Amino acid sequence: MAGLVRTVGRRFFSAKATTGLTGMAVAKDPHLALRVLYTKTLAALEKLPKDAAYRQHTEGIINDRFDLVKTVPDVAELERKINCGQIEQVIIQAEAELSLARKMADWKAWEPLVSEAPEGQWKWP
Amino acid sequence: MAASLGRLLHSSGNLLRNGARLKCQPLHTAARALCSNTSGGLTTIRPKDEVMKNQLTVFGEYVAECLPKYVQTVQVTAQNELEVLIAPEGVVPVLSFLKDHHNAQFGSLADIACVDIPTKPYRFELVYILMSLTYNSRIRVRTYTDEITPVESCYSVFKAADWYEREAWDMYGVYFSNHPDLRRILTDYGFEGHPFRKDFPLSGYVEIRYDNELKRIVQEPVELAQEFRKFDISSTWETFPAHRQGSKPLMDTQGRGHEAPPEETPAEEKK
Repeated sequence: MAGLVRTVGRRFFSAKATTGLTGMAVAKDPHLALRVLYTKTLAALEKLPKDAAYRQHTEGIINDRFDLVKTVPDVAELERKINCGQIEQVIIQAEAELSLARKMADWKAWEPLVSEAPEGQWKWP
Repeated sequence: MAASLGRLLHSSGNLLRNGARLKCQPLHTAARALCSNTSGGLTTIRPKDEVMKNQLTVFGEYVAECLPKYVQTVQVTAQNELEVLIAPEGVVPVLSFLKDHHNAQFGSLADIACVDIPTKPYRFELVYILMSLTYNSRIRVRTYTDEITPVESCYSVFKAADWYEREAWDMYGVYFSNHPDLRRILTDYGFEGHPFRKDFPLSGYVEIRYDNELKRIVQEPVELAQEFRKFDISSTWETFPAHRQGSKPLMDTQGRGHEAPPEETPAEEKK
């Protein structure tokens, strides 16, 4: 149910008529948007230490999706391959991950535990 | 899964007047097949979902691995609910991670609850309940604080936190720093005190009445017609068999034995 799909010249016609979701406009060039976002995210992740688990997992996810974006030209096919909702939603997820990667560098979340809970704090009941 | 489906097919009014329970009568044979276990007996006990529990455990370990600076413990309750226990410095980082990360995508803040346990070192426990619509799952993030230590507001992460944090402030006195508008939300305009704290009395301290001479509402110390009665009822049944402290006698004074039931303990992975 991705709406009307027209595969004529993807730069001149949008690939579908509507996303079906209120307030979410159809992306004009999703491949370009995703390419830019993933490149920026990978650059932001470079600032984290190589052994940080967040960096390793996120780089894996981003590289997998980036490879799909580079190899699959058709938008509907790309949506199916990524399998995480519509391409506009994938773009929103990529934007979120980019902002998170930048903030993670500030927080330094890979460091060891900043403070232990006091004795008996988590005991229940 | 089959048992829960079977539950939906049965009516709920099964109690006879003397309190005995009717045997669960299936509506048709398909229901009997759905809610019977492999040995043929009917069962309406919630089945253990090991697959779900394993998935939640794996994801909990993933969160702990990505955020070692703030995550103190991760646990999965017996009802297959994932809880992440964090240090209070990490409220904004952990919630941002859970909202923005590809594998998490908990985009919805369902509630911020506060629990007051006066005997604990940090008496207030904050519980953030998040929901993921993409992955259809929930997660709970818990921190702690006391009356004077502020917690970073997560308004920058979830706009819904605005009123939830106002409620926590009004009812418990938990202060949130960098909140856009932290003021009372449920109590009366001149109300003093934080009503949901355990040391705040049930009747409150003041009552109001309309004064005819002054022609307005006046507040006066509360006077109840009957003194507050506290019944100290101790239950004959042990309420938390999995959480006994110290040794308990196996027999009570009447010589009845307490059999330890096969209990569920929450699976804990300590970091």
